[in-house]
Amino acid sequence: MNATGATHERVRVWDFPTRIVHWAIVILFGICWWTGETEHMHWHRIAGYGVLGAILFRLGWGLCGGETARFRSFVRGPAATFQYVRKLLGHDRADPPSPIGHNPLGALSILAMLGLLLTQTVLGLFAVDVDGVASGPFARWVSFATGRRFAHWHAANFHLLLALIGMHLTAIAFYRFARSENLLPAMIHGFKWRTPSAGGPYFAPWWRAALLAAGIATCLALLLNIRW
Amino acid sequence: MSNLATRKGTFRPLMLLIAAALVIGAAGSAGAAGIPQIVHARQIHFKTLGKTAKSLRDQIWRSHPNWNVVANDANQIERLASALPSWFPAGSGKGHGIRTRASATIWSQPQQFARAARRLFNRAKDLNQAAAGRNLRALRLRIRALGQACASCHRRFRAHSSWW
Ligand code: HEC
Ligand code: HEM
Repeated sequence: MNATGATHERVRVWDFPTRIVHWAIVILFGICWWTGETEHMHWHRIAGYGVLGAILFRLGWGLCGGETARFRSFVRGPAATFQYVRKLLGHDRADPPSPIGHNPLGALSILAMLGLLLTQTVLGLFAVDVDGVASGPFARWVSFATGRRFAHWHAANFHLLLALIGMHLTAIAFYRFARSENLLPAMIHGFKWRTPSAGGPYFAPWWRAALLAAGIATCLALLLNIRW
Repeated sequence: MSNLATRKGTFRPLMLLIAAALVIGAAGSAGAAGIPQIVHARQIHFKTLGKTAKSLRDQIWRSHPNWNVVANDANQIERLASALPSWFPAGSGKGHGIRTRASATIWSQPQQFARAARRLFNRAKDLNQAAAGRNLRALRLRIRALGQACASCHRRFRAHSSWW
């Protein structure tokens, strides 16, 4: 679609913090997966804290970040979502229904993804490995049996996450092949081609991301090192 | 009175017969259920081992550990670690109608398995020493080393599934 360059302009869609958090989660999730399956719990914990930090940052950035990162700009009610789905299935390619940022379906997938990832890390904080030694830092507040139960929920929720990630990738392939919209590069370099319109989205200053990241890192470091 | 006595008299052989049948039946089924029982007992031992290791680890998170708990736990871990090889008699693997994650390699690579068990026992002894010496720094290192001895055996000899 961007072959007709004259009628399209390159607009910045995703800011740097949003993209970094996205790819950090992808990489750390992979590390968590591998170290979890092979019982390398030391590295598993470290990567898991990374995921937790990234999720908390993304939640905060959804409140105070740039326009396309804000929940307020992309989370829609059921009616708007339903309308979007009808347009999407209507094969009306001349009128791409996608907003510049996340579409209403993508919004649902983001909420589900953030929710399940947060659940995953919180379950991990209380989980006890079979050996009773390599456990989450909050496992000391639960019994061995309860900690093992957390570990089983941790494993079950992981399979939900795998299913959701499968859906996420399927959706991206759908847009690529059924609607000729290539979503992947935009999440890497941050730009999309669009018909010129009344300006692009607004962005938040970088120091706000730095403050948020520093605050979350401090809180996590304190929380994970409580002695009593 | 005499009526009751005769009734007792006729009942006694019958009771004896039933009792004898029960005893023989129980003994017979105990023989047949030997392996499930061994597996079950082994899993209970392992759960105790895990519970005890967790209890000890929970103590080292405190700024002031309860050294009596630490000493008891370390003793029990050493005791269980020394008994571990006896929980795996030949033939107590999968295929006896009870879920077990004991891998067949335990019996196909007996030397490696014995070495893994030996490593656990050595680390349990080190741990016990640190516990007796009330050395918190050493204890922290040694509980981690103990956990690594558990995990490395599990990676190798604990199957991923109960069924294959
Ligand atoms: C020499 C090998 C070996 C070592 C060392 C070892 N384990 Fe295991 N462990 C096994 C095997 C094999 C099983 C599977 C037993 C089964 O399912 O019948 C197992 C199972 C377990 C289980 C699950 C029991 C259940 O409920 O089914 C726990 C808990 C456990 N081990 C704890 C520990 C702890 C704690 C340590 C270290 C302190 C440890 N193990 C060290 C081999 C080992
Ligand atoms: C997105 C983040 C995470 C992912 C994807 C993840 C994934 C996994 C996986 C796949 C396993 C193996 C489960 C199994 O099959 O037995 C596992 C185990 C485990 N995880 Fe995580 N994990 C995450 C975060 C965390 C965190 C933050 C902690 C806490 C520090 C944690 C603690 C544990 C523990 C203790 C186990 C061992 C439990 C067991 O024996 O099953 N995890 N994790």
